[in-house]
Amino acid sequence: MIRIEKERIDEFIRTLMETRAVYAPALDGKNTMFAPVEDPAGIDHNIFNTDKSPKEIFFPHSEVLFEYEGEEIKKVERDVRPIVVWGLRGCDARSLRLLDKVFGSAWQKPGNDMFEDPYWKEKYDDAIIFGTACNEPRSTCFCNWFGSGPHDDAGMDVKVVDTEEAFILDPVSEKGKKFIGSLKGWAEATKKDLATIKAVREKAEGLMGEAFGMEGIAEKMADLFFKPVWDDIGAKCVNCGACAFICSTCHCFDVQDEGKKGKKGKRIRIWDTCMFPLFTKEASGHNPRDMSKDRLRQRFMHKFSYFISNYDEHLCTGCGRCVSVCPVNLDIRDVVRAVMTSEA
Amino acid sequence: MSNTYIPIQMKVERIEIEDPDKALRTFDLVFVNEEDKKNFEYMPGQFCEWSLLGLGESPFGIASSPTETDFLRFTVSRTGSVTNEIHYLREGDTIGIRGPMGNWYPVEKFKGGNVVIIGGGFAFTTLRSLIVYMLEHREDYGDITVIYGARAPELFIYKDEISEWQKRDDIDIQLTIDNPADGWDGRTGFVPAVTKEIAPSTENTWVVVCGPPIMIKFTLPVLSELKFADDRIYTSLERRMKCGIGKCGRCNIGSKYICIDGPVFSLAELKKIPEAF
Repeated sequence: MIRIEKERIDEFIRTLMETRAVYAPALDGKNTMFAPVEDPAGIDHNIFNTDKSPKEIFFPHSEVLFEYEGEEIKKVERDVRPIVVWGLRGCDARSLRLLDKVFGSAWQKPGNDMFEDPYWKEKYDDAIIFGTACNEPRSTCFCNWFGSGPHDDAGMDVKVVDTEEAFILDPVSEKGKKFIGSLKGWAEATKKDLATIKAVREKAEGLMGEAFGMEGIAEKMADLFFKPVWDDIGAKCVNCGACAFICSTCHCFDVQDEGKKGKKGKRIRIWDTCMFPLFTKEASGHNPRDMSKDRLRQRFMHKFSYFISNYDEHLCTGCGRCVSVCPVNLDIRDVVRAVMTSEA
Repeated sequence: MSNTYIPIQMKVERIEIEDPDKALRTFDLVFVNEEDKKNFEYMPGQFCEWSLLGLGESPFGIASSPTETDFLRFTVSRTGSVTNEIHYLREGDTIGIRGPMGNWYPVEKFKGGNVVIIGGGFAFTTLRSLIVYMLEHREDYGDITVIYGARAPELFIYKDEISEWQKRDDIDIQLTIDNPADGWDGRTGFVPAVTKEIAPSTENTWVVVCGPPIMIKFTLPVLSELKFADDRIYTSLERRMKCGIGKCGRCNIGSKYICIDGPVFSLAELKKIPEAF
């Protein structure tokens, strides 16, 4: 573990910037998000988990797959520097790891590189994630429902704890250990630092609400597929899709061409969501998910049933963004509670 | 790392209009690059994403059989914006495809057994692939029975080829149209009813059903009534798709993705997915 005094943090970030593209929390208008760092002095280290999720660092809202001119296809040049993310919260670090199960190769169909997503892998595989432990979780946080907690380091390469005086950097992955091991000129964490970390951790964990038991939710949801519980939940939903766009784990996308046939253009992928009717509406006019309720159910089934069947994990990390952003106060925790307490 | 989002180039070699409304066109495509041809290995039941730069992509089942090595065949119904543009293509034009995608009809499992193929309308494409494949490997299979329904006689696709099959004694072709028509001396009636009438034996028999959703929906109970086991009945599903590689989420039903876990599913598998029909 190394110790970086607060007044030297800009210097540390600058060393990262020498060889890497660094992303950190920043204010964009009224909202906070992750943005490329141009000047370390501009980083606000007090921003809690950002309003916009960091998935867009690796899976941008709109990403050019290739460019074309007539029938000719041209690959797109991109910033090839490896990515460093600074200030990512634990829930988001775990979200990226979940997305890697979808976009990375190893999970879906082992050994078949047809199922690798090159645009994700070229960014995520070499990235180093500095995750900041949460000392003051919010009322919307529920990472502990998933066996995690404010100081969980899963999905991080280096765990960072803010002790008021300093940032303590604890390398947790092999990649993180190698990286921290290569650094020179930084002090080791002191015994006092370790004691402080223990104290802030206990305090943070004490601030979390009680975890709701979710054992068996995958089967429970599957059993409730045709039950009225979805009508009750769905009655409130306006299918605006805000939850999916803000979500750190929702990853559905559309593919579109910008630029007319025979001319210069780009094929892009853009975030999309199962909450929108056009997501599944076919050219014939038939829509397998015609009702608003069908679409809402799909989103929750994917998170708490289908993803568990495929990857043995929930597709949710309890970041609480959807709780804050929903215009009709549809709280994902209430959905889980309603499902878990319904009769099949 | 290969990039499966980038289409390979194909040339339109031959176009055939299949119906009087000119709403169904068959396209034979040939590979522009020899390397792509070498790498393209597929099985009956798989599909490709057609890619028209500036317009977008649409998935279509491959109608040719892997035993036909010189071309890839597709039959496209003019329905939406991409298919409309596809119908404007002329022989000699270049387009892109991505694939082959998805799983295939379990032709290995069918070996040594009888196969009943039930099709409807223009969804006969991948069934043609399957039939041609099995006829090329004729000694591997027992009786082959084809039940194919269309609204009217002129709406069958691959008419010339079907006539050729009708002349053979190693395949039983049963055509049916919805209502009686002038000059039609074959069967009339919907596919489910005709299937019930023909009542193929279940003994050592596999069934493949592919057609419009409504046909599949009413044919499956008939097959169950005839005592075909759920794991002996196969069908091919369709959904809106984009990536074709299990990422974009569009074709997700239950814990499956039609593009990679399907499009071919057994009825036993589908019964576990509440949204399948």
